[in-house]
Amino acid sequence: MTSSYTQEKNDLPPSNGLAIINSKAPFSSNHGKDALDVALIFGSFEQKVSLFFQGDGVYQLIANQDARLVSIKDYLKTFSAFEFYDIEDIYVCQQSLVNRQLEEKFHIGDVQVLSSIEFGLALNRHQHVLRF
Amino acid sequence: MKTLAVVVTTPPYSHLTISALTYVEAALVAGINVIGVFFYQDGAMHANKDISIASDEYQAIEHWQRLNKEYQLPLHICITAAEKRGIACDSIDNDQVNEAFTVSGLGELVELTTKAARLVQF
Repeated sequence: MTSSYTQEKNDLPPSNGLAIINSKAPFSSNHGKDALDVALIFGSFEQKVSLFFQGDGVYQLIANQDARLVSIKDYLKTFSAFEFYDIEDIYVCQQSLVNRQLEEKFHIGDVQVLSSIEFGLALNRHQHVLRF
Repeated sequence: MKTLAVVVTTPPYSHLTISALTYVEAALVAGINVIGVFFYQDGAMHANKDISIASDEYQAIEHWQRLNKEYQLPLHICITAAEKRGIACDSIDNDQVNEAFTVSGLGELVELTTKAARLVQF
């Protein structure tokens, strides 16, 4: 890593809160819902939590999906409640979108699309990380 | 005092659980204060009394019980994850829950995370 990155890292606020990495597609397993439950609990205990979407996890943010078509309870709808839980930092890995030829059209607002380096730096600002 | 909390999301028959056990025991032996282990997702299956793993295979549940006994290591299971996997937690005597484990909710994970200097997930 070059010194400019190190400099940038040093300028960031001190590490705090929990980062949850979502790395799985939404409807083939329970991982997305399990991660959501953790995020909402941390939010309701007024603990800082940020959400990261990477790899197949980016599919959880893509607009115009209907889980009911495959008989699954649509937990993605609950994402729109994030602001009520003060969950404001939502990051998605741009390279993961590019690799899957996905447009930056999400079903919630305030999603920040980050390059791999920015994604890593944002992750590094957190004290704890859980991955689902 | 160094504080550590551990999250286990792998089932008792997973080889990754062996890594978790080895790690936690090494931390305890090193004098690190392991404030608790939280079993989430398939990890909740560890608390099922009725699980039987062939005797020539690694007995993950027995090892967790041993660490709980020797070091008073708190073992928490997520009730929602456990009930989803057929472990009845609502009966008064918690019949199906191994006595080394405490039936908790995700609130306990918040508690452990805020208290621990380090959180490690397996």
